[in-house]
Amino acid sequence: MTTIQTTEPTDPALSKSGILEKFSYDDGIVRLFLLATLIWALVAFLVGIIIAIELAFPQANMGIPYITFGRLRPLHTNAAIFAFAGNTIFAGVYYSTQRLCKARMYSDLLSKLHFWGWQLIIVSAVVTLPLGITQSKEYAELEWPIDIAIAVVWLGFFGGNFLMTLIKRRERHLYVALWFYIATILTVAMLHVFNNLVIPIFGGTLIKSYPIYAGVQDAFMQWWYGHNAVAFFLTTPFLGLMYYFMPKAADRPVFSYKLSIIHFWSLVFIYIWAGPHHLHYTALPEWATTLGMIFSVMLWMPSWGGMINGLLTLRGVWHQVTTDPVLKFFVVAVTFYGMSTFEGPLLSIKSVNALSHYTDWTIAHVHAGTLGWNGFMAFGMMYYLLPRLFQTKLYSKKLAETHFYLATAGILLYVIPIYVAGLTQGLMWRAMTDQGQLMYPDFVESVTRSIPFYWMRVVGGSCYMVGALLCAYNYYKTWRSRPKVYDVPVHEAPALSKGYVDPPPPESRLKGVTDLGHKVDIWMQFKWHRKWERLPVRFTVWVLIAVGAASLFEIIPTFLIRSNVPTISTVTPYTPLELAGRDIYVSEGCYNCHSQMIRPLLAETIRYGEYSKPGEFVYDHPFQWGSRRIGPDLAREGGKQSHIWHVRHFQDPAQITPGSIMPAYPWFEKKELDFKSIPLRVKAMVFLGVPYTQDEQDNAEELARAQAKLIAGEIVEQNGPPGLEDKEVVALIAYLQRLGTDIYKTPEPEAETESTDEPAAGGGH
Amino acid sequence: MSKSPLQDELTGHEYDGIREFDNPIPGWWSWMFFGGVVFAVLYYMAYQLGTLGTSVAEAYDQAVTANLKLQFEEIGTLTPDEPTILKYMQKKDWLLFGQKTFEGNCVSCHAKGGIGMVGPNLTDDYFKNVKRLGDIATVIQDGAANGAMPAWQNRLHPNEIVMVSAYVASLRGQNKDGPLGQQGSKIDPWPEAPPEAASE
Repeated sequence: MTTIQTTEPTDPALSKSGILEKFSYDDGIVRLFLLATLIWALVAFLVGIIIAIELAFPQANMGIPYITFGRLRPLHTNAAIFAFAGNTIFAGVYYSTQRLCKARMYSDLLSKLHFWGWQLIIVSAVVTLPLGITQSKEYAELEWPIDIAIAVVWLGFFGGNFLMTLIKRRERHLYVALWFYIATILTVAMLHVFNNLVIPIFGGTLIKSYPIYAGVQDAFMQWWYGHNAVAFFLTTPFLGLMYYFMPKAADRPVFSYKLSIIHFWSLVFIYIWAGPHHLHYTALPEWATTLGMIFSVMLWMPSWGGMINGLLTLRGVWHQVTTDPVLKFFVVAVTFYGMSTFEGPLLSIKSVNALSHYTDWTIAHVHAGTLGWNGFMAFGMMYYLLPRLFQTKLYSKKLAETHFYLATAGILLYVIPIYVAGLTQGLMWRAMTDQGQLMYPDFVESVTRSIPFYWMRVVGGSCYMVGALLCAYNYYKTWRSRPKVYDVPVHEAPALSKGYVDPPPPESRLKGVTDLGHKVDIWMQFKWHRKWERLPVRFTVWVLIAVGAASLFEIIPTFLIRSNVPTISTVTPYTPLELAGRDIYVSEGCYNCHSQMIRPLLAETIRYGEYSKPGEFVYDHPFQWGSRRIGPDLAREGGKQSHIWHVRHFQDPAQITPGSIMPAYPWFEKKELDFKSIPLRVKAMVFLGVPYTQDEQDNAEELARAQAKLIAGEIVEQNGPPGLEDKEVVALIAYLQRLGTDIYKTPEPEAETESTDEPAAGGGH
Repeated sequence: MSKSPLQDELTGHEYDGIREFDNPIPGWWSWMFFGGVVFAVLYYMAYQLGTLGTSVAEAYDQAVTANLKLQFEEIGTLTPDEPTILKYMQKKDWLLFGQKTFEGNCVSCHAKGGIGMVGPNLTDDYFKNVKRLGDIATVIQDGAANGAMPAWQNRLHPNEIVMVSAYVASLRGQNKDGPLGQQGSKIDPWPEAPPEAASE
């Protein structure tokens, strides 16, 4: 269905600017992406509501392993980010890029491969995550075969298609929206590849891998990725959408071209550094977290540059906002963007973070961002596109208005209670008595306080979802009134001619200054940037330099400086059984509720024990520090409870700890442990440099069985049920009883002298 | 921004009908941006390179020292033995201290108020691994019953062990109903409190 035709120019003036070409836009692909956006939005919201209910009422999972909180929470985040926001981005990029480039997408085939490939990736996420197939790194949970598919579809199909469209464009200069798309495609690809470098386990039907990084370094890479996934998946592409759809919908020029330039480059350069603010007070070296904090503070204005350019574009047309639902969604979206990007730097300040980290404050912060900024940009864009794509009137403007008010109320009903819950948790965890003890020593007290807020969140989330359902109905009715055959207008534009000459650089307007002063003045007029805008490849290279250099500045020292991870001689690899138990812990998504990282803060060490040291995690592929304490920290769980306590606690946590909202895991006692795969797991670890002895490598299964028998015997001695030696529960208990105990072991004399003479490589295997 | 937006100069760019104003960057934006950069440089120098800041580890050590001083300055470091436990059983403040320690570490098995859950009821006269008052501290430090009772010596300060022992001992005689019933055998009553301790 290619419609590109060339006609010989008859007008001699045209021959200068190239041959006049006819073309049409591919709106079919935009319609597909828009439909996917709507469907996945509903899925993401529904899963969100389910897990919100499960937190307030754990029995809601009805004893089904596949829908426990730990397994569904990653599905919620992946569906919201990659399915809902992802398809929003693609719909907006495909619609706007064609028009901004005066060119059809480079290849209809690549567009289709991109669409179906991406939906297939999401479907595979919907299947694998509830099955417990996960890498356990937040927003990078999907296992290696899906990761490869993501790289191919994102960079190959989407990136290739997009960049070739830029090259084949008929508009000389790239508009600011396209700059943001370039940064998005490039940086997400970089983040995705480097955070997902893993060693797969081959054998049987196992889909399982271990990251090549361990402990501190794995945590660093993960939050370099996690933070910038927010930056380059939820921020830059949406800013690009804002730069296209906001001036279009308002029919107003963008407020300031100069601001576009400076806020784009400062945002792209600074964002990349800020990741370590997710790891304040952890075992990550302090210089790295300090860098994370100061770059986050510097990021405030670059972020607000986007907000200003968006809101001030509406100068003179604010009255339209009262009548146009599209603009309403955009205005609130940009406002939430401004609020979130102020709160982000605030939360990155160490002393604020000491209070907010691990609490629901973070959850409220991200939902203000996702529901407010991403969600409202998506719905605003949807209402803008529906009449244009289906070439008819929007079915009901009134319904769209209702959606807007319901969703706004939903956001407030969600975030306000969760802010209160987060602050409550943070303050209760650190509250001390006059005698220097914890005011609320039992963790469950903060959980009990949070439950009413969790119910309010269910209400808020449901309002938001009902709003989206109204949108779906509006979508359906609008689609129903589409014409029988879509009109495909044919446009005409000359191809770009070679030998374009840039306008001469401007004169300095200053008088009585030195040559340098003139140069600065000319530079400050930003005309030099105009040349970059007509050279997409060079522009792309500059973006790559900006994000790449910043990354390397932090990554290289983290990996190369040994003193960053001082070794501890008594820390040894997990036994084969403990390793198997750890993999169950990962698979069940325990890290979604339990951290394993005690910060050097008094209230924290009183509650959980000695703070975590970097050297304790050198064999942790992947790290399990977590980011949220819905339940207590487990870094020093080893030896804190008896085996029998764990057995009974897994059966029914609420019976052992009244008020606990941990789901029951009765199947741990029933499911057979997969002893056969243990040697494969040990082998993969050996490949990553974990020093297992020859005996452990050769007899991994036998050793695991022997340890399992020992633990099962102890459980019986403690009046527990017999016959657990081949069940999953023993492996999990073996792992939990090991956690955080190595530093209390007495070092063997030999090992000690060795380690003091020659520090081993700092965990980087 | 006194000028009407409609009079602003345009750049002359146009993309799919979108035009751009040639407005200058707002002054406050520039000042805040450069302010942020200056703050960042100064903060990093003062905190990471200079001597102004206290590192996280140093701040933590200071907090621990201050906390130990606040908690135990008047009593020093105690030995968890029978006379010491007996002495602190008579002191209400310290029993409350022991209760907090108990609530932080022991209720997961012995339940609130010590009525028992996974671990035995501590409010009656029946004990499994305790015959004399001092045994409570021993059981807490070293654990008991094949690991059913974990060892706490790595986790609790000796004074905390004394106070939590005193608190546990003080529960005896309340005879509250728990889910497990009586476990172990009946033991002799705790010794009489020394008169001088009671009067303190």
